[in-house]
Amino acid sequence: MMLFLQSLLNGILLGGIYAACSAGFSLAFGVMGVVNLSHGDFIMLGAFITYWLLILTGMDPFLTLPFTLLALFFLGFFLQRLAVNRLAGSPPIMSYLLTFGFHLVLANLALRAWTADFRNVRTSYSGLTIDLAGLILPYSRVATFILAMILILGLYLFLSRTETGRAIRATAQDREMAQLMGVKIFKIYALTFALAAAITGLAGSLVSLTFVIHPQMGLPFTITAFCVVVLGGMGYVPGTLWGGMILGIVESLATTYLTAGISLALTFFLLLIMLVFRPGGLFGKGIVES
Amino acid sequence: MKEGINVLGRTKAVKPLMAIFLLCFIFILLPPDASGSEKPYRIGFAVPLTGAFGKDGALVKDAYLFWKETINAMGGIEVKKKRHPVELIYYDDKSEPQTSAKLVEKLITEDKVDLIFGGFGSSQVIAASAVSEKFRYPMTSGAASTLKLFDRGFKYYFSLLGKAPEEVRGCVEILPALNPRPETVAIIGANIPFSADAADGFKAYAQKLGIKVIHFELFPMALTDYNSLLTKIKEKKPDVLLVGSHSLVAIRVMKGLKEVDFTPQGVFFSYGPTVPDFLDSLGKDAEYVFAASEWTPNLPYRDQIFGTARDFFNKYFKRFSRAPDFVEAASVAGALIQQQAVQELGLAPPLKDQDREKIMPFLYAKRFDNFYGPIRFAPDGANEIHPPIVIQVQRGKLVHVFPADTAEGKPIYPMKPWKKR
Repeated sequence: MMLFLQSLLNGILLGGIYAACSAGFSLAFGVMGVVNLSHGDFIMLGAFITYWLLILTGMDPFLTLPFTLLALFFLGFFLQRLAVNRLAGSPPIMSYLLTFGFHLVLANLALRAWTADFRNVRTSYSGLTIDLAGLILPYSRVATFILAMILILGLYLFLSRTETGRAIRATAQDREMAQLMGVKIFKIYALTFALAAAITGLAGSLVSLTFVIHPQMGLPFTITAFCVVVLGGMGYVPGTLWGGMILGIVESLATTYLTAGISLALTFFLLLIMLVFRPGGLFGKGIVES
Repeated sequence: MKEGINVLGRTKAVKPLMAIFLLCFIFILLPPDASGSEKPYRIGFAVPLTGAFGKDGALVKDAYLFWKETINAMGGIEVKKKRHPVELIYYDDKSEPQTSAKLVEKLITEDKVDLIFGGFGSSQVIAASAVSEKFRYPMTSGAASTLKLFDRGFKYYFSLLGKAPEEVRGCVEILPALNPRPETVAIIGANIPFSADAADGFKAYAQKLGIKVIHFELFPMALTDYNSLLTKIKEKKPDVLLVGSHSLVAIRVMKGLKEVDFTPQGVFFSYGPTVPDFLDSLGKDAEYVFAASEWTPNLPYRDQIFGTARDFFNKYFKRFSRAPDFVEAASVAGALIQQQAVQELGLAPPLKDQDREKIMPFLYAKRFDNFYGPIRFAPDGANEIHPPIVIQVQRGKLVHVFPADTAEGKPIYPMKPWKKR
């Protein structure tokens, strides 16, 4: 029983990280229809920013969050103005090509700059755990989980309660109508992509506390984000929370009770089933209709 | 609205952009130039510089570079009273076996290199050595050891390392001597050729010594979160954890062990802790970890080019500001014996096919001794007389702790629990 609870807990904590890592992907896809294949590289950049601030200035990883947020916001904004903007109205394949190009450039520039070394954000509290009636909770994962929840909640509130957020949602729902209503959609696009990059970078900073950092770490996160977003509903931001949880819990329980090998296969099997039977995600709120 | 939606115009604008990306990418992949002068030995290799083994592969590249610099500083390889400099041509195989094979074929057919050195990682080297075998280029390799390399009936593949399952022999043979003597072990390993073989090796030797294996599991490389896997093993309470690993897996296992608060009495890795990143990234959390090795600088070996094993270590440290790993020592030893072959056979560059065909029987016939230790190749190409060494991280240093007759320190056992550190 203890093993089950521990495994479930591991899954939930992992799920929170997955959710945080996928929210930006969902946002860019939902609003702009851009499948950002360089998504994972934004995570990598976020992780490296935290790592370097820690190494060079001794700043606590959690204090680096605003820096990551800003840096990635501007990177996202810049990439959007420079390139993504030009894709408006062109077929989806163009966005795959472009963002895959981003992925190659970012990953290889990072490799040039920082080499393929495996790095680890090490603080006085990394790896420390709380023992809660026999359940082991690693501090950094709990903190990451809480921040991930705040991140998604904040994004949700921003999208539903603010003027700009509503404009973003309106653009996602019907671009032309939004334009007719006076929404400056290219501004909205730039803002959305920048925002997506910023929260993805933030997630990267959080990830750096738990995962090993290296320039090639991005792509698996893009794949994870894709799974999470399909499970939760493509373009439906709160859905990433559920998608992340399901993925984390399934992975964890399958590793504990079956084998680690099967847990990944199971994840993709789940993805396949969702795509075939419920392409709109668990709650059917994704923009892809069943 | 300033930005109209001119679909055609925008699509066109993407093309030059993509071209720029492509150019950037090609530029990034270009290998640095090798220096050259008249009639050099041109030697090629493909190693992972990016991908899962990018870091491990870079070590092998450094090793060959170090050998080249040492030889060129002496004026080159002396054959028939003339000194020929060495020129290295290498490519990044991106940790992909097919790419490694393709690049070795390119080195042989397009770059027309004189000799081929081995890369890093069993999967890559399996693919690459199939090509060198086809073109009858002897390949000396110091960084691959899966069993599959040796059961193919190849004649031109020479491994400075022992076979993977045998490499971890020391890690199991040390167990009965530890106090308290471990009764049970759990074995996990990444399911790729070398680390899976190492896991099998752990199992076979444990069974031979009557140590109970209470858990055995291979997991995919794609697994990034090890906490649930380790939680499961923690429940079974093994005395010792044996891990078939490369450096990334080893780092992840150590992070995971701490996060699930699991301290076995001992943790052993087939590979990883000897790669500098392991100590750099884990710091104090790397203490007490054991690992298999095939070479340490305190061993009593020597040769005329590098001096003693300790001399090699010191010069290497001076050049790269870090200690050489055993695969680097093994890779340099591989380069040394190919050098010895061309010298003793009197083969000046450019080498012809029949020249290389002479090197092969030469390598089988001799026993070599250099700073790396004794080398003799079995008919399957494996180094059959190399000792299985165990090292342990003690106060941030790698200490040779087994076999006892050459050890420089005693193993510290059991490992201190995370909470008490």
